[in-house]
Amino acid sequence: MKHQLTNLRVALRQVFAHSSYIALAGVLALVVFLLAVWLPNFGLIAQVFRDSNVPLAVALGIALSLLGGIDTNFSLLSAGYTIAIAVLFGFTVAMIVYLLKRRRVTAAGNSIAIGSGAMVSGVVGIGCAACGSLILGVILPSLGAAGALAALPLNGEEFGILSVALLFVSLLLTSKSVVGSVACPAIAIGNVRQS
Amino acid sequence: MVGFALFAAGGNAQTAGQNAVDAAQVERVKDAVIKELRESGAIDRAVDAGVGRFVERQRAAAAQNEERDAQARTAKLRPVSKVHDHIRGDPAAPATLVEYSDFECPFCKRFHPTAKRLVDESNGQLKWVYRHFPLDELHSKARKEAVASECAAEIGGNGAFWKFADRFYELTPSNDRTDLGTVLPQIAGEIGLDKARFAECLSSGKYDRRIAEDIENATATGGRGTPWSIIVTKSGKTYPLSGAQPYAAVKHLVDLARQEK
Repeated sequence: MKHQLTNLRVALRQVFAHSSYIALAGVLALVVFLLAVWLPNFGLIAQVFRDSNVPLAVALGIALSLLGGIDTNFSLLSAGYTIAIAVLFGFTVAMIVYLLKRRRVTAAGNSIAIGSGAMVSGVVGIGCAACGSLILGVILPSLGAAGALAALPLNGEEFGILSVALLFVSLLLTSKSVVGSVACPAIAIGNVRQS
Repeated sequence: MVGFALFAAGGNAQTAGQNAVDAAQVERVKDAVIKELRESGAIDRAVDAGVGRFVERQRAAAAQNEERDAQARTAKLRPVSKVHDHIRGDPAAPATLVEYSDFECPFCKRFHPTAKRLVDESNGQLKWVYRHFPLDELHSKARKEAVASECAAEIGGNGAFWKFADRFYELTPSNDRTDLGTVLPQIAGEIGLDKARFAECLSSGKYDRRIAEDIENATATGGRGTPWSIIVTKSGKTYPLSGAQPYAAVKHLVDLARQEK
């Protein structure tokens, strides 16, 4: 684990030495955060922006003030993992793009696979789990399995925690691939010495 | 016969040769036209215009869907009734906040003071209508608490309903952790209800249908969780609001609803 965290530190320094990757990670994290907080009220936001009787300043005011929902409409735990998912997603995608730009497609593929799973889990877990206003709460009743949500100890917030864990694994894997270009020759020398 | 065959063959050969020349000419003209269109930027402009029209069609379809949803929501929203509903604030207020709520939901507990503050500060411009939306799968006690609030209203009137709701949200730890045996009689005593009548009403089952109607209306209007609110203007236009949103966001919507002619 210590070795993986060292990889992560080295990879972060390597990738985020370029300001364009900092910008990419920041923008992606912000987008994920906005989507998560606005998720329950996409309909309302679309309605006020499309309505010609609603001044743009008022529509913007409504959208911005809804961001305060992170404090009022999320539990401490769900607010925590929502922010963590946004940040980890930004980091992971920026590092995957870094790998792809260096044509290390195979290495990036694993991270993309795990990262995608993490995002699906995150989207399912995001929201007001206790009151059922999360995606699962919408999907499960239509499947006739609403009780399944209540059966979970954290009423569905498990998905958010799982998502953070998966994104972190994805980030560690990506870091290993990023650092790999530096580490490979040393391993090769070590192998030669051992043999 | 042979002469005819030779003539026919010669004619065919001539036709085939002519066709080949025509095809080559068509290809050359086609290439020239494509080159001209490409170099003049006409293809790009046509593609841009096509994409633009597609995006515009998508936007229009989305706007139509949104409009249809809004109309459906307005149509499905049960009209506010002074007799049937619990109203806080001036019943003649131009703006209405209809809230579908669950007494065991921690976010409804959080939203309750927000709605109360908005009504208190509105100078008679906003009324708050409370309807029941107990989420039985998550909060098995919420339905009984909804019945208790109706019993409070039956015995003590509209004022007693709101006193019950305010006090209940103060006392409940939410998420089905309320001790019903202690809290309900305690509130009944505090707000001056006849405890025997209250207990009798609680076990009577007479409000089961009313609560079921509220739940049905919550889901019909698009409610998928609690608190689910709909802000209604004087003309009947609706703004849906999901969750315990902050005071500033709800205030914006209430102001919008108040200002609409």
